[in-house]
Amino acid sequence: MSTDIFINIFEDGLFAAIAAIGFASISSTPRRAYIACAVTAAVGHAVRYILMAPAMASMHIVPASALAALAVGFMGVMFAPSIKCPAEVCFFPALLPMIPGMYAYRAVQALISCMCHSGEAEFNHHLSLFAQNGLTCAFIVLAMVIGANIPVFLLKKTAFQATR
Amino acid sequence: MPKNLTISDAAAFLADYASRLWGCGATCVRIEKNVGRIAAALGVDCELTVMPAQVEVSVCEPGTPHTVVAARRVKGAGINFDANARLSRLSWAIADGRVDYAGALARLEEIKHLRPTGQWEVLALASLANAAFCRLFGGDAAAMAVVFVATLAGFRLKQIMLADGHDLRMAVLCAAFFSASISAGAALFGWGSTPEIALATSVLYLIPGVPYINAASDLIARHYLCSFSRLMDACVLTACLSAGLCAGMFILGLADF
Repeated sequence: MSTDIFINIFEDGLFAAIAAIGFASISSTPRRAYIACAVTAAVGHAVRYILMAPAMASMHIVPASALAALAVGFMGVMFAPSIKCPAEVCFFPALLPMIPGMYAYRAVQALISCMCHSGEAEFNHHLSLFAQNGLTCAFIVLAMVIGANIPVFLLKKTAFQATR
Repeated sequence: MPKNLTISDAAAFLADYASRLWGCGATCVRIEKNVGRIAAALGVDCELTVMPAQVEVSVCEPGTPHTVVAARRVKGAGINFDANARLSRLSWAIADGRVDYAGALARLEEIKHLRPTGQWEVLALASLANAAFCRLFGGDAAAMAVVFVATLAGFRLKQIMLADGHDLRMAVLCAAFFSASISAGAALFGWGSTPEIALATSVLYLIPGVPYINAASDLIARHYLCSFSRLMDACVLTACLSAGLCAGMFILGLADF
């Protein structure tokens, strides 16, 4: 049982790391930062997995994302001087696998569905889906950014002098 | 202020620098910090206004009433963290006196012509990334393979359309349609046990994650105009992505999937 949990956590971190490298390359991240991004993303996603798993902390996705982003922010600030890049170059790609993309486009899909259904009950159902997905998406992104920026302000000197 | 540098030169340099930093996807806080650092090193007082489509720099020599204003349009060449890092290093090099004005101009020019990561490398890594993303959402091996191929095809289409000068929104819409149509094969032909995850995750590589994060960062820093502009850009791209996905599902008869 506990071995399964560790395997799941490891797997979650591994695939998040692969995703982070891919999304980092889309944003033309310097190659020397790939490993830092991968490690940071793996730790961040694994933390969120642990916090959200029903068998563990069973936390809601919004606070779990904020805490995971806090870990990502600290690691980003720590890695930044060694890769000679601003902290956000390290932690933005690491946050990308946690971006609630599915919530974002499901909100838009629900909005489109509102127009396609004229009945009040169906319209209300899709409007409720739009609000639910849209609000969840907005709060996750906000929570992540707040979480990731706290270390930047706590460790201002390291964060802003990383490229010196 | 260095002897061979006029206020006009300083204003032009700072405006060029700020517009380049904006264009490569830096947050407003980063732009203000870096421009302030360079202005202090050049010995000028500087007021920076960051707007969604342009930056304006007002520079004056301390103790004199003479002020020069320089404005530049933001040249959006896509998110480029390599340029962001190089521009940050340039600001410290100027601040620490490791580079003179002529050298700084030359380095800024060099950064302007910086090439993004190779398109084949990005194509391969983005496809792998999206397949890994599919796994994170619980997709099986068949779903991952379908997502890999769908991303490869969709992303390549986006690259070709952008290289041909098509609008980014149109490119995102077409790429989402293409990827969704390919990944719908998993549902139509019964590949694997999680075809719905393959379909849902096949377009996630198009989600504008960095603009969403930048919008929230600017919101916290009280740069509301820039925040709203970045958020709207991201929402429009997400709407294009959704339209492409819905069109693909509708045409292939998966509207209620």
